[in-house]
Amino acid sequence: MLLIYCPYCEEYREEEEFRPKGEAHIARPQNPEETPDEVWGDYLFFRKNPRGVHHEQWLHAAGCRKYFNVTRHTVSYEILETYKAGQHPASDRAPGVGTGGAK
Amino acid sequence: MSDAAVFDVNPAASVASESPLAACRPRVATLANAEGAGVVVRERAFLGHLILRGNAADEAFVAGVEQALGLPLPTKACGLSLAAEGTSSIQWLSPDEWLIIVPGGAEFATELRLRECLGGHFAVVNVSGGQTVLELSGTGVREVLMKSTPYDVHPASFPVGRGVGTVFAKSAALVRRVGEERWELVIRRSFADYLYRWLLDAAEEFGVHIAD
Amino acid sequence: MQHYSGFGLLKHGLSYHENWQRAWRNPEPKARYDIVIVGGGGHGLATAYYLAKVHGITNVAVVEKGWLGGGNTARNTTIVRSNYLWDEAAWLYEHAMKLWEGLSQDLNYNVMFSQRGVMNLGHTLQDMRDIQRRVNANRLNGVDGEVLDVRRIQEIVPLMDCSRNTRYPVLGASWQPRGGVARHDAVAWGYARGADAHGVDLLQQTEVTGIRVSGGRVQGVETTRGFIAADSVGVVAAGNSSVIAKMAGLRLPLESHPLQALVSEPMKPVLDTVVMSNHVHGYISQSDKGDLVIGAGIDGYNGYGQRGSYTTIEHTLQAIVELFPSFSRVRMNRQWGGIVDTCPDACPIISATSVGGLFFNCGWGTGGFKATPGSGHVFAATLAAGKAHLLAAPFSIDRFISGKLIDEHGAAGVAH
Repeated sequence: MLLIYCPYCEEYREEEEFRPKGEAHIARPQNPEETPDEVWGDYLFFRKNPRGVHHEQWLHAAGCRKYFNVTRHTVSYEILETYKAGQHPASDRAPGVGTGGAK
Repeated sequence: MSDAAVFDVNPAASVASESPLAACRPRVATLANAEGAGVVVRERAFLGHLILRGNAADEAFVAGVEQALGLPLPTKACGLSLAAEGTSSIQWLSPDEWLIIVPGGAEFATELRLRECLGGHFAVVNVSGGQTVLELSGTGVREVLMKSTPYDVHPASFPVGRGVGTVFAKSAALVRRVGEERWELVIRRSFADYLYRWLLDAAEEFGVHIAD
Repeated sequence: MQHYSGFGLLKHGLSYHENWQRAWRNPEPKARYDIVIVGGGGHGLATAYYLAKVHGITNVAVVEKGWLGGGNTARNTTIVRSNYLWDEAAWLYEHAMKLWEGLSQDLNYNVMFSQRGVMNLGHTLQDMRDIQRRVNANRLNGVDGEVLDVRRIQEIVPLMDCSRNTRYPVLGASWQPRGGVARHDAVAWGYARGADAHGVDLLQQTEVTGIRVSGGRVQGVETTRGFIAADSVGVVAAGNSSVIAKMAGLRLPLESHPLQALVSEPMKPVLDTVVMSNHVHGYISQSDKGDLVIGAGIDGYNGYGQRGSYTTIEHTLQAIVELFPSFSRVRMNRQWGGIVDTCPDACPIISATSVGGLFFNCGWGTGGFKATPGSGHVFAATLAAGKAHLLAAPFSIDRFISGKLIDEHGAAGVAH
């Protein structure tokens, strides 16, 4: 069971309240009309899927219903940081630098 | 004053309203009166529910809401402003979203008053028909809540005047603590029947009384 | 290879079973192979077996970082079925089903394939419409199937609560009588023994640490036991496919998720079929040992830890107890997770890549076990010819560029 710090509700909440929403910081191609299929396919489907530190989006579905970002290790599942949508991770990545790390 | 087109969704009092629990026939053994009951359940039906969206960093917005409702706008996470007489409240739902509950029938006047006092970018939506409120009181309530939600309802983390949106019995609810042993659940119409029966089932062991 | 038979069993009984041959060798890696398979699970071993048996290519190594069949092959809930909606998927899984039906004889190894039937429950009117459509599509593709009403379901599974008094009442089901279960370890061991007998080197405790690429072509694999040169490399690494792809500078349209399963204490036989419900997220069968084998939906987040969350277990067991109230007092013995590589369209990738000689067979998600023989068979043909087998061609990685997806979310199983 993960305890996740919601940067909007400003407290740790149970995993059950959240929905994981996949890799974060994927930029949508600027001009879809002129984007080649390879780039568009890459944007839609291809993912880093790292074995290690992963920046991902979560939705606080049962709480404030806001999307935010989580930096999490995909083997230990340790959460290193959570931060609001539109923000960037504090660093890539000295453990314990950001806010909302594992309690 | 906003120039949005507004209308009263419930103009004629003669149109009968029906609570989402109207057809619910609970099957648990209930106590005839509140005396000796660990949990008293009371539906507060037909209250006025309004969703307010706006910018909490805008001082004019915050002041406008207070002017309109006579209650401070809770800008801190999970805040809940309660009127002293318990008739109306404002609950923080997310950084730019609040739930306003006013006495039944007052929702249209409240909406108009908000529109009068607020300017710029904001939204008010009457959601009264979509949800209802269950009031729970008694010594057994905290135990019932602990069976139903992963949120910590211990007084140390859940003081009076706090309200959270959380998972409740595999569904979702707003859980509000409005008094020492008095709690409110704001539940969606489509889950109301299920959640009501869940609550009664969970409360049966403490002795449950259904109040009017 | 020592032939297994009833007579052999009797004969070895006379010598207290002390003189059985080892089922496979434990060889030293050679410097060079024609083909190296990365991943010694069911799919990888089946690929090696069919390369040797069907295509006569025996200078093959299977490189496995742990032990044979120790990953998802050992962790799945062993369900075999082929009732997929779309033509391409139905053909592939039905190809596998036909191989399953002769597998024990082919391998001279009892994989305990038991065609006890697989039931997919419908709990809403839309479920039932989807089931009707899928069963019709299946029949047109020569896959057996029928739609059951509640009365028939109750006859087949008397223990199940088919009353209206549940949160999601059972309205009907699809039924594939030829579906069933197989003994997962035996599948890996049978293929390993067969491949080894044809001269394939099975290299356990050999982890791939790099893929050497030069001039746009794969040269071989770096391993913890040194470099192994190869003309072609086939990667069959399930949840770790993205990790191997990264070694060759590639990205895949995959996300790895934990998928959990549980088994109960052993009981007297109570359930002689497989029951699955996509709607309430759970599937259950009873193994020959008597334990209930229960599977869940995936955990929603990416994860390489072979474990999942308690929320998912709780959710799954609620579903199972709702379907089978009499199981509420059954104790669960063990719980574990495997890492499944899920694809956006819930169909596998069997494909060449932009690196010459480097092939991937991955993306099987939550449903790879049932495809083991078919997957190995078509991937072997793909590796042998250097181009996609007819049944594998629609599963090229290019479909994520062209948009020609094969959307099997409806039939692929639970929650992914």
